[in-house]
Amino acid sequence: MATSPANVQSFYVVKRPNAFAVAWKVIVKKPSRVIGLILIAIFVLMAAIGPMLYPPVLPIDPLAIYAAPSFAHPLGTDFQGTDVLAEIITGARFVLLGAFFAALFAVLIGTSVGLVAGYFRKWRDSVLMRITDLFLTVPSFPLLIVLSTIWRFTSPLALGLVLGITGWAGLARAVRSQTFSLRERGFIEAARGIGLSDWHLLTREIFPNIAPYIVMNLLIATTGAIYSEIGLFFLGIVPFSTNNWGVMLNMAFTQSGAMYTKSGLLYLLSPLACIMLVTFGVVLFLDAVDELLNPRLKGV
Amino acid sequence: MAFLKVFVRKAIGGLVMIFVVASFTFFLIRLMPGNPVTTKLNALLATGTPYPIALSKVSVMYGFVPNQPVWQQYLTYLGELAHFNLGESISYTGVSVTHIILSAAPWTIIMVLTGVIVSFVLGVLAGVIAAVWRNSWIGQSSTFLATFLHGIPQFMLALVLAYVFTTVWRVFPFGAPYNAAIQPGWTPAFLGSLAKHAVLPVAAYAISGYGGWALTMRSSVTSVLGDEFILAAELRGLTRGLRLRYIARNAFLPLFTTLTLSLGFMFGGSVFIESIFDYPGLGNLLTTSIGAEDYPLMQGAFLLITTAVIVANLLADLLYTAIDPRIRRA
Repeated sequence: MATSPANVQSFYVVKRPNAFAVAWKVIVKKPSRVIGLILIAIFVLMAAIGPMLYPPVLPIDPLAIYAAPSFAHPLGTDFQGTDVLAEIITGARFVLLGAFFAALFAVLIGTSVGLVAGYFRKWRDSVLMRITDLFLTVPSFPLLIVLSTIWRFTSPLALGLVLGITGWAGLARAVRSQTFSLRERGFIEAARGIGLSDWHLLTREIFPNIAPYIVMNLLIATTGAIYSEIGLFFLGIVPFSTNNWGVMLNMAFTQSGAMYTKSGLLYLLSPLACIMLVTFGVVLFLDAVDELLNPRLKGV
Repeated sequence: MAFLKVFVRKAIGGLVMIFVVASFTFFLIRLMPGNPVTTKLNALLATGTPYPIALSKVSVMYGFVPNQPVWQQYLTYLGELAHFNLGESISYTGVSVTHIILSAAPWTIIMVLTGVIVSFVLGVLAGVIAAVWRNSWIGQSSTFLATFLHGIPQFMLALVLAYVFTTVWRVFPFGAPYNAAIQPGWTPAFLGSLAKHAVLPVAAYAISGYGGWALTMRSSVTSVLGDEFILAAELRGLTRGLRLRYIARNAFLPLFTTLTLSLGFMFGGSVFIESIFDYPGLGNLLTTSIGAEDYPLMQGAFLLITTAVIVANLLADLLYTAIDPRIRRA
């Protein structure tokens, strides 16, 4: 009995489930992941539409300096009588956008350096790893400070680029060692045996295997970049172009005396709480990403 | 012999790094928009200083003459650097940068090292507890605390410590390394004041490093626990205390590789912790020199921070080689 080709196909082709549906299923499995997703969504929304909700210059109110939380000012007011909640919401965009760019650049540089060093080995490896070691050894925050003297970065993109340049080395080392062990595996040898190019091997065979690790790193690097960014603004080294959480901390610490009064508590605490909440959200969500991307955990 | 060879190789690597960083800062200052050397020269000329005098002033400040070709300036700079001459500070007129950074260095180095030691001891203990009792509440809460503290950035930690213990609950003094009313000297009153002012900054360093140590030690102990020689020790009927010592000694080793990374992190943190607690160390010098546009000082402070990290790394490597016989033989 002859089987029609259509039949064979329908027998072998496994219906691929919708990627979003799979992701959703993994996320709702644990409440902690849902909380993480919600936290991230809130802050992304804040960054996207926050500055549109308020006038470009937030109103000040000399009669309500360090006002206690009320209906009009849910988080109280600062040293000028400006609503703290408004400052938090409008300040999210710069911080998050900058951190995103920073993570992106760090991952781009770190991954390419690690792949090239681990795959080609020999002189390329030793040259690249010397450079990596240099960036790993030189304390990155002082380096950032020194770099910020020549680079008056005022846009999130420029700030992200500088943060990326100083923060890629750890990832490069990790990617290199993974590439090292991957290139000895059978499937790479087979691919090389049929004459595929180095470029193909690197981008199509090795990269997909370390991609999950890189995606996880992208998320972790974002939180690290937020810290550095806010640290730079906090120390007052980067020119203040727009209001953001780091500027708030700087004002609270240096200019307004919020450090010395108990009534300045909310002004000081709000940006700190936001940084912690973003980190918290990312850490909780990371668990879901891990399960989604790690084939060994799938279906467990 | 192999030991000496490793040491020499690492030392040369460290020197090369210092050289690269020194060259980097040299060219950085010349890349800056409105090159500070020419700016300073023009400023002096504008105030009516005759050209030769202005020129010699600027050359003293930066350690070279500005109208020479760059490569010649670079060679002069390196020559002066070899004699530890980093030029003169701009904001503290007439004081050499070397003098300023050398008087600031002990503050940072002592604080960072104390912080590293405190966090190391506490973190390692917590890591052992977290691994050995990982199925009970004590181990799990230890892990949770370490993860939590590991995620907090240093400036946040220092800010919260400062706010809680100097504003909300006034138990510690805020700012300054000691009470200015007390005459400095080896007197109990002065040393007491010094210690009291050091508590919060050291705590900030220690807490920021603690989580990393605890988590590394935990995973290291967990992996050693699965080793066969531990099972063998258990079967031979060795006491729990003795077995713990076996475990700890073997689990300890990977921590020394982390030590080298953590030192850079700790020295980098001095920028925040010293600014927040107003400590006169290198990190504080770096931030204030940028605010004052004092580039020779910035260059010097950055160079010394980097050198401190490189030297500390070298020592950590040495220590690692000395305590692990497997590496010594290899």
